[in-house]
Amino acid sequence: MALIDCKNVSLGYDSHIVAKNLNFEVNRGDYLCIVGENGSGKSTLVKSLLGLIETESGHLHMGDGLKKREIGYLPQQSAAQKDFPASVFEVVLSGCLASKKGIFFSKELKNLAQENMEKLDILSLKDKCYRELSGGQQQRVLLARALCATKKLLLLDEPVTGLDPVVTADFYRIIEKINREFKITIIMVSHDLYSSLNYATHILHMKKDGAFFGTVKEYLESDVYKAFSGGEKNA
Amino acid sequence: MPEAINLILTQPFLQRALVAGVLISLCAALLGVSLVLKRFSMIGDGLSHVGFGALAIACAANIAPLYFSLPIVVIAAFLLLRMSENGKIKGDAAIALISTGALAVGVMVTSLTTGMNVDIYNYMFGSILTMSNADVALSVVLSIAVLVLYLVFYNEIFAVTFDESFSKATGTKVGAYNMLIAALTAVTIVIGMRMMGALLISSLIIFPAITSMRVCKSYKSVIVSSAAVSVVCFFSGLLVSIRFEAPTGASVVCVNIFALAVFSLLRAVFNSSRLKVGGKKVLAVLIAVVSAAVLFAVPLTGTVNVYKKEKVSVVAATFAPYDFARQIAGDDAEVTMLLAPGEESHTFEPTASDIMKIEQCDVFVYGGGESDEWVKSMLSSIDTEKISVVRMMDVTENLKEETLEGMEAEENGEEEEYDEHVWTSSKNAEKIVKAISEALCAHDEENRKAYEERTEEYLSKLSKLDEEFEAFSKKADGCHFVVGDRFPFKYLADEYSLKFFAAFPGCSAQSDANPSTIAFLSQKVKEEKIPVVFKVDLSTGSVAKSISESTGAKVMTLYSCHVISADDFKNGETYLSLMEHNLSALESALPRKS
Repeated sequence: MALIDCKNVSLGYDSHIVAKNLNFEVNRGDYLCIVGENGSGKSTLVKSLLGLIETESGHLHMGDGLKKREIGYLPQQSAAQKDFPASVFEVVLSGCLASKKGIFFSKELKNLAQENMEKLDILSLKDKCYRELSGGQQQRVLLARALCATKKLLLLDEPVTGLDPVVTADFYRIIEKINREFKITIIMVSHDLYSSLNYATHILHMKKDGAFFGTVKEYLESDVYKAFSGGEKNA
Repeated sequence: MPEAINLILTQPFLQRALVAGVLISLCAALLGVSLVLKRFSMIGDGLSHVGFGALAIACAANIAPLYFSLPIVVIAAFLLLRMSENGKIKGDAAIALISTGALAVGVMVTSLTTGMNVDIYNYMFGSILTMSNADVALSVVLSIAVLVLYLVFYNEIFAVTFDESFSKATGTKVGAYNMLIAALTAVTIVIGMRMMGALLISSLIIFPAITSMRVCKSYKSVIVSSAAVSVVCFFSGLLVSIRFEAPTGASVVCVNIFALAVFSLLRAVFNSSRLKVGGKKVLAVLIAVVSAAVLFAVPLTGTVNVYKKEKVSVVAATFAPYDFARQIAGDDAEVTMLLAPGEESHTFEPTASDIMKIEQCDVFVYGGGESDEWVKSMLSSIDTEKISVVRMMDVTENLKEETLEGMEAEENGEEEEYDEHVWTSSKNAEKIVKAISEALCAHDEENRKAYEERTEEYLSKLSKLDEEFEAFSKKADGCHFVVGDRFPFKYLADEYSLKFFAAFPGCSAQSDANPSTIAFLSQKVKEEKIPVVFKVDLSTGSVAKSISESTGAKVMTLYSCHVISADDFKNGETYLSLMEHNLSALESALPRKS
């Protein structure tokens, strides 16, 4: 059974439809990139996947034992975070909040945070101040936090925006590692179409008049891709 | 032990201030971290304005201010949050809307009802030294509740503060925790207003957080440091206020400014690329030691004015009773005036040494009108068993404040105010003098004879003044006098059947008349050929000036003898000399015979 099954879904807010007839499914181990122009409903889709807003119509189903609150989420960074005085460990540990019982974090949860920092090579930064890290290091910290919240699915919202090319490439390699080695399913909203094609297994291309969903190979042959990439080259 | 610390430990009113102050500082500091990080610093300011509006309504409706404003401010906090969460109105705009809106409502309500009474001033500028036991108990209970809730939900509050979208996605009830933060903030603001004043309370929330964020690198250390900075600054501020006889709220804020400067300096040291690690450490320790020394050495060294009375003492709130008391006391008793010359009575806030003087005095004399309502809360916070309290309005017959023809009225609703300037008639002055004399004699039998002699002598001077006014009254029969100012001479006018036109009632804090008032008064001056238009001492006299400009009448000053200017005080003016001046000024205002 699919982790996420999306049939004929229409999305919108304030009774204003931004995307309709969305059909796609995500299976365990997939690496799905969501691309599309601004205003095509990517952020709205992310919110629906997180269960923060209801779909206008259709059927968005979580399966394979995935609960709505078990999605590890990497949001876009807010301006306020850039000068937030918090240690790396504090930020990562806050990812365990949903599993916390009682007032304090248990030993196990602290160990979990520790493990995830180790996985992402940031254990040495544990006591450093979050706001003093580089952009790439900050993204790793937020990834480690997201990993604390999930064992199954990571949802990333334009994670490479604002990173320089070297750090971006590095970041993609980490995501690939998380996907391959830790067997965590990835859904990534991205502006970076070419990297998406390199790393993803599936593409969801959102457009105002319907969306394309398929494997990368299928996408490369589609009219949607040809029109989009052609358009980009011209621009 | 330094005198100031000794005082804090032994004086009940300072003990209460310390307990309440430390707890409120803690609450404010903890919440401040979240609010500053959430870019919500101004919510404190907004809510304190709402608190002011609520107070105005509570005072007008005669409800206990704290109990009324607490729920109102909590609701306002929820509303603020709702507005900015819906995203229809952004956070800062929402705060501006609510805060200015509430301020306007507050000002409307006060101007339509009781006027700016001192209860409201108490909350605008705070008066931690006059907190009653009940106020302190409420503050303690509420702040402990705030602290416990904050610590229980510490991790959740951190997560929500750091990243709302992530917390929402992982199932944290972000809305509920935002509500919690808002509600805790609202409670802190309301109880903090009593201590710091509506105008200064938000500084208690913002300063320690900003200060700590200069240096600290983890959330926990920011929290701990804010709490420490806040408590230390409060304590030091309290010491400073005792040492320099300054208002406590402002002292605490000034110490906070100093702490911010110190932490900024520390940050510069830590971030400096020129210094080696060892050098940084040495310098940091040096800065810390020096600043700690400044914080505590300044208020603790030098002499605190610890008041120890040596003989029988009389404390008078304002000038007239002070002058009466010193005429009676001579050298046999000590007489103190609380309001310094030139000080505005409406905004008066007793300092620690003032309260100690009152606590130790034998006779305390005050007016009892609306401008010294601070006396009520002050008297309820100290032990008054051994003090003879003379309320001047109790020993005289009281007249209601009256709206004269053409005067800009304060609409009082159903509640009518009594004019507090009872001493302006010399017949009343005689009654007050007798009351003070009796109280003094009862406390000092030894000198009774001397007091009684001086009282007799002074009373005869007062009755001579009375005769002079009676004589003038006949001369002025039917003539009008124009006061282009507030009118504190109701009792004088009534006693001697003098007819006045004036711009505002006696206690009005207004000083700008509307055009129709000025036109009316100017017309009277012209019609009746009145050569002099009066202003009251210590006022700007702007209305009198504009009447003078349009009519050619001369501006002269009448003295209310309520609070006198520093110069007049230095020149040794007395009630008698000022009233004589008033008499001759009134004489020159009689219409020219044509």
